[in-house]
Amino acid sequence: MSTPRTTLRRKLITSMMLTSTSVLLLAGAVFVGHDVVSVRRLLVDTIVTRANMLAANSTAALAFQNPDDAGQVLDALKADPRTISAALYDQDGRLFATYPRSGSPALVPQEAGPIGHRFESSALAVSQPVVVDGRRIGTIYLKAGLGLISERARVDAMVVLLAILGSIVVAFGIATWLQRRIAEPILSLAAVAKSISERKDYTVRAKAVGDDEVGVLAEAFDEMLEEIQGRDKEIRLLNADLEHRVAERTKELEESNKELEAFSYSVSHDLRAPLRHIHGFVELLSQHAGPSLDEKGRRHLATISSAAEKMGALIDDLLVFSRMGRTEMRKTTVDLGALAAEVVRELEVDAKGRRVDWKLGALPIVKGDPAMLRLVLTNLFSNALKYSGPREAARIEVEAQSQNGEIVVVVRDNGVGFDPTYVHKLFGVFQRLHGPAEFEGTGIGLANVRRIVGRHGGRTWAEGAIDQGATFYFSLPK
Amino acid sequence: MALLARRASILALLVLLALALPSPASAKVANEYDLKAAFLFHFAQFVEWPAEAMPNKSTPLTIGILGGDPFGKTLDAMVANEAVRGHKLVVRRFREVGEADSCQILFISPSEDARLGVILSHLKGRSILTVGEGKGFALRSGIVGFVLSDRRLRLAVNLAAANASRLTISSKLLRQSEIVGPAGLPE
Repeated sequence: MSTPRTTLRRKLITSMMLTSTSVLLLAGAVFVGHDVVSVRRLLVDTIVTRANMLAANSTAALAFQNPDDAGQVLDALKADPRTISAALYDQDGRLFATYPRSGSPALVPQEAGPIGHRFESSALAVSQPVVVDGRRIGTIYLKAGLGLISERARVDAMVVLLAILGSIVVAFGIATWLQRRIAEPILSLAAVAKSISERKDYTVRAKAVGDDEVGVLAEAFDEMLEEIQGRDKEIRLLNADLEHRVAERTKELEESNKELEAFSYSVSHDLRAPLRHIHGFVELLSQHAGPSLDEKGRRHLATISSAAEKMGALIDDLLVFSRMGRTEMRKTTVDLGALAAEVVRELEVDAKGRRVDWKLGALPIVKGDPAMLRLVLTNLFSNALKYSGPREAARIEVEAQSQNGEIVVVVRDNGVGFDPTYVHKLFGVFQRLHGPAEFEGTGIGLANVRRIVGRHGGRTWAEGAIDQGATFYFSLPK
Repeated sequence: MALLARRASILALLVLLALALPSPASAKVANEYDLKAAFLFHFAQFVEWPAEAMPNKSTPLTIGILGGDPFGKTLDAMVANEAVRGHKLVVRRFREVGEADSCQILFISPSEDARLGVILSHLKGRSILTVGEGKGFALRSGIVGFVLSDRRLRLAVNLAAANASRLTISSKLLRQSEIVGPAGLPE
């Protein structure tokens, strides 16, 4: 869970600040605009009024053709530095007097213009009639600078700017306070959610704050936590109970398994002595009474002898299987390559007269019990040899692969193979996919392989198809 | 003949138009009496008469000329159809001062200089603005005298005489004038 604290706070403050600043800017612009417009209007009023006053004072000067007096009247404009120029025109529109008196002619129009006011580039020009008793006897022209307006606009802008700056400071304070009130409950809720997701501690509570939606959210959150906590507890209890029961069952199973093994061991062991007797006395009987018996009798004795031998082999295998599960492992380094070569040499004696093509790849040195691993290789190789019997030329390949931190030993033959449907039965005790008439065997070999590899911490598996040969794998940890 | 008559009528129209157009200022200034006529007209605007001088609106404001008329048609043209404070302006010419009692402004022609004393004493106490030539006119208890100085027409005003005649002269007019004679308060 990332930390969104700053983002929410900043978002709240930013939105509030943007709102207040834009409102202030808009209000400020309206204020300045309105003020400038009203100041312009005021200036027009002032200048028109002044022109009318000057006109009233100039009537006699115009009537009695006294430009000197008119000039004096206009000189009163000195009092206002904004005045740029002024002029009086007589009844016929001719220039009569000017202000300033020695002003350049460019400052005032040479003839009276139309009545009214107009804004020029940086000045306001006003023309008003000079009237006596309702009779127009001339025109006055007055031109004033707009310095006042631009000055006013500047001052207004400064005032607005200062007001905005002040308001921004105040708004920031208010926004910070408001954001704390709004964001704090959400942030504490987020912190609770974070601590729960990190520590899986469902005993934490958000503790509802405020009466708004966030408070409702916190309440609902707490209720949810309550629920989760309850379920969590229930699950833990169930789990503990289950584990306890599994352990109990496992213990029971182990005990009964041990009992079973001890039983089969003692049975096998105890069966050996009477069997040896049977075998021994059949030998003695065939030596003693063999010549006096007929052919049929001697065949019966041979059958008894071979059955006893077979049974002995079976018992021996069972004892080995049993021992493999019980004896201590003596772990040491084992050169699998040398071991495989030795086993092949031993088996070649049994395969006299057959064409067998052994292909032994490089095998690594591993850690394990040498006697047990020898049994593994012997079982796998002799199986390969046995089930490739019907082939004119048997081919048996042995190689090692390194996969995912394991050593996998592969034994591949070109024998009769097996039906992959029953692949899961291959490694079971007494599980045989071929009848004893076809191939002799006790059905314990692969079970032993699986048991030994398992005790070494490895796995066993096989691949094959009928008449397609078989491949056996076992893995050992590195 | 018809063509000639038409030409004559066009000519007459042009003459009329020329007369109707305001004459150039230089021509006016050139004629001293045109200016004086204008001043006489403006006196009507800057002087106030007591109510009994013009009892009602229909009473015209009369500008009189006593003696030889130096203005010719100028003054008549100027006041034609003009009114001041609702009073129609009229021009009348008098031979004897006795006939001039009802006028409000009276220009006393230089031709009457010899009888000026008699005339002014006759008009004394009447609400008539007496106007004459020269500063001396005002000094001799006339009210306004035309003074030519530095090629400009100026005024000399005897404020005491105006007060005696119960005439109120606008301060604006006084600003244009030289005050002469005994400075005195209204009696």
